[in-house]
Amino acid sequence: MNSTIELLAPRYDIAWYPWAVQYFFMIAISYASLWLAAPALIFGKKAWLPTARLALIACVSTTLVAPVALLADLHQPLRFWHFYAYANTHSWMSIGSVVLPIYLISVLGLAWLAWRPALQAQRSASGLGGFIAKWLSLGNGATPKVLVAVVGLTALLLSSGIMLYTGAELAVVKARPLWNTLWLPPMLVATGFIAAAGLVLVLNRASGLRSNDATRQMLYVLLGFCAVAGLIALSWLLDGMNAHVGSVAAALESVRYSPSWRSTALWGSVTGAALFAVVALLLLRPPHRQPALFAWAWLLGLVAIHMGWMFRWVVLMDVQHVARNSAGFHHYGIPAGSSGILGIVGTFGLWLTAILLIELFIPWRQAQQGGVNTPASLDAQASSDPLAATSDSLNAKQGAPNHG
Amino acid sequence: MDAIRRSLLGQLARLSAGAALVPLSSLAQAGINQQPARREGDPTKRYGMLIDLRQCIGCQACTVSCHIENAAPLGQFRTTVSQYEVQHQESGELATFMLPRLCNHCENPPCVPVCPVEATYQQQDGIVVVDSDRCVGCAYCVNACPYDARFINERTQTADKCTFCAHRLEAGLLPACVESCVGGARIIGDMRDPNSQISRLIQEHRDALMVLQPEKNTLPQVFYLGMDERFTTRPVAEPVALEVLDPHGQEMGYEFHH
Repeated sequence: MNSTIELLAPRYDIAWYPWAVQYFFMIAISYASLWLAAPALIFGKKAWLPTARLALIACVSTTLVAPVALLADLHQPLRFWHFYAYANTHSWMSIGSVVLPIYLISVLGLAWLAWRPALQAQRSASGLGGFIAKWLSLGNGATPKVLVAVVGLTALLLSSGIMLYTGAELAVVKARPLWNTLWLPPMLVATGFIAAAGLVLVLNRASGLRSNDATRQMLYVLLGFCAVAGLIALSWLLDGMNAHVGSVAAALESVRYSPSWRSTALWGSVTGAALFAVVALLLLRPPHRQPALFAWAWLLGLVAIHMGWMFRWVVLMDVQHVARNSAGFHHYGIPAGSSGILGIVGTFGLWLTAILLIELFIPWRQAQQGGVNTPASLDAQASSDPLAATSDSLNAKQGAPNHG
Repeated sequence: MDAIRRSLLGQLARLSAGAALVPLSSLAQAGINQQPARREGDPTKRYGMLIDLRQCIGCQACTVSCHIENAAPLGQFRTTVSQYEVQHQESGELATFMLPRLCNHCENPPCVPVCPVEATYQQQDGIVVVDSDRCVGCAYCVNACPYDARFINERTQTADKCTFCAHRLEAGLLPACVESCVGGARIIGDMRDPNSQISRLIQEHRDALMVLQPEKNTLPQVFYLGMDERFTTRPVAEPVALEVLDPHGQEMGYEFHH
């Protein structure tokens, strides 16, 4: 055995910037929260309605912001129309560029249908809120439930397309062994659901909705997908443990030679296991103790969001730092500008703006599976959750009929 | 044009039929991520390069002449020469090993099918090029190339790579790196012409030739003579701290921290 040193190793910059992480994160929350909204909005399960309302606002806001992050990751964003002028069916990215806008339209369609009854109820309100409700609700006609279900099912189908293309886009890249595994697409979906459930938990608290049903349901979703993610990680490991090449071999090599990869691997597994354990513990508490504990579930939500984001950061950014031809590991600081911190903060800022605009102008708390929204049914829903009534100064100011 | 449209329609048909009937794995094989049709270039030629490592002294003349010929931004290279110092662990004897790297103009280039707008394509003479007017700068190809042969050009904000100096070949000139190589280590030519120098060398040294990362199944068309097998994949090597500064005093090379 000889020892070798590399005298001149050029620096290879990363090709995808943190914008890519933001896109993969936002679009994962988008498709996963759509599925969380599905039981109530598409299949008519009333018990899931509070979850669906929270999931829908999460879904719409992330669906709007994700494509912005994607465009920003192009080095020539103004040439985005080339995707349609010169579509290449050989490329997963090109297929994604077709699926994404149709998916966006279907999500906006579903949200409009689900919010329409409440918008109609708000038509007579004074001020900008009433004006927007009048303009957005497009008349007083009833919203057929069948239409909501059909549009919702279309959106679900297209969301599967998004899951498939975002995963496949990475998994086909042989040049990055860590991506080149069939286990990556399902893992992206599983961590997407973890992040989306986490976001619903946080929104449940931040919006003042504080529905215990939603919290319980999201904790079960978290539990399930933590278990699924764990199983996928284990299968991936066992699948490739004895191979000399491939995804697992590359990962083991990275962990062996790089302290930062070691701490990343440790952090990821410990956080995942801890999240699973705490959620399980919470759900095993006696029912009368649960409401008090559920008030803190939003903290678990934050951890879950962190999991979803960090997984994408490691997969998309850290993997690009693994040198393919030169010796050693590349170490990069995150730049401050638009290809770094500014991009990350900017995307989250835009997302917050989207959430706030919806909060200001859309009575999203009354989303339902079509039909007609009567003030009586709204009152019944509002009073079923006493905390919700006290928390909602924003909507009350605009004269929403059921708050205050 | 008709042939292209026909193949496109064929792909679409296969895709939609696939989506309805077959499991996902076979959908992925039904055309997605497979090579699109080659276009432009001379179909009677197939360019390739043979690098005789026994002649390479690691002077980086190729790196510099390529950089000037193709006006690459500072710190970004279409070709470089990796330099290794190898020590025999028992005898302590030292040797240097030079490995010129460039685009391999693969027979199965992984960078081509990933391009969402077909801005990067393979010519019929085998040369892989980028249409920088069409490129959207998504950098998918940069990630898809196992050889680090591509980069996003800072100035044009589009993908950039070695073209075997196609513009010079067209004018009957040799690529800048070949022209400037002091040892004559780089030999380029038409591999379809049995009398070309490269064809004769390939014939003569067929068993000794090696390519980089053969396991990736990209079928590289840059062949190395005098290669050590341990360098065909990423070599197990210790990096050495080395700073290369640009005229503004900014570090362009790699700074290693142990």
